[in-house]
Amino acid sequence: MSEPIPSPEPAASQPDSTRTGPGRLLVAVYGLFALSASARAGVQIATKFSHAPVAYLLSAFAGAVYILATVTLANGSPAARRIAVLSCSVEFAGVLAVGTWSVADPATFPDATVWSGYGSGYGFVPLVLPVFGLLWLRHCARRAAAQRTSMSQTRPECAEAG
Amino acid sequence: MNQDSYPPALICPSCPPAAGPAPVTTKGSNISFVSGAVPTTIIVAGLALAGYALLMTALNRRMGLVLLAGLGVLEILLLVLVGMIVARLIGGGRPAGLPTLIGYLIATPLVPVIAGFWGALERSRWGPAVIAVAGLVAAVLIVRLHEIWPVISV
Repeated sequence: MSEPIPSPEPAASQPDSTRTGPGRLLVAVYGLFALSASARAGVQIATKFSHAPVAYLLSAFAGAVYILATVTLANGSPAARRIAVLSCSVEFAGVLAVGTWSVADPATFPDATVWSGYGSGYGFVPLVLPVFGLLWLRHCARRAAAQRTSMSQTRPECAEAG
Repeated sequence: MNQDSYPPALICPSCPPAAGPAPVTTKGSNISFVSGAVPTTIIVAGLALAGYALLMTALNRRMGLVLLAGLGVLEILLLVLVGMIVARLIGGGRPAGLPTLIGYLIATPLVPVIAGFWGALERSRWGPAVIAVAGLVAAVLIVRLHEIWPVISV
């Protein structure tokens, strides 16, 4: 957020940066869900935790995963990309697990989480978001690998970095 | 037609007659009229902005002044709505989910601002795509506000 340097920052122009191009949109949507999921969980846990403890704790967990994915996608360094792959994978597994759980056992979820019903309360965006995130991270990893090989020499082979 | 019972300036100084609320200008009816018009305008404006921004993305255009101006209009509308809701709260109205409402009142006006900065940093078609998300989110937030506090009619 706070970047007082007016000169174009080098990280933004690097081709392996995950926050430019389609990544700009991804980070925006991830940031939106990070804010909404964690704020919602915070209010629910603070005001009526005993009403649906499982749902609210899962909401808080989802919020934490979204925050981690937002920060690492916006950062874009190789280490951050690995953490982003991990958090997107956890997110995808979480949507599938919590979605199935909420359908199979609705009594545990008297109040909805971000992930219950596979994210149906949020237009199923929580379901497709990690897929796009993982596809974008794979694209960035391949692009970075291709650039490295072409810089060292010879063929730009698509190699998975993380 | 001259309006005997009300001095014209008190009814509506700028708009033509028969536009504004009905001559029954009690305070309550005036507010409920406005709080229906502004949210609806925000939804329409948000969806229109999203549609235009998506068109710009499809046409492979970058961020432009039109999109920033649209965000500015959306921001002003949202601030007006927040002011009206705060006035309702000060006037003694209390929704069931007050903490949630306060969270929405803080977060909602930030949406166009953050989207504007984040989108303006982008030098490709994906800048307008960010603005499209902001427009959609503004429309959805109004619907959610209505669910939190039905006084905010759409």
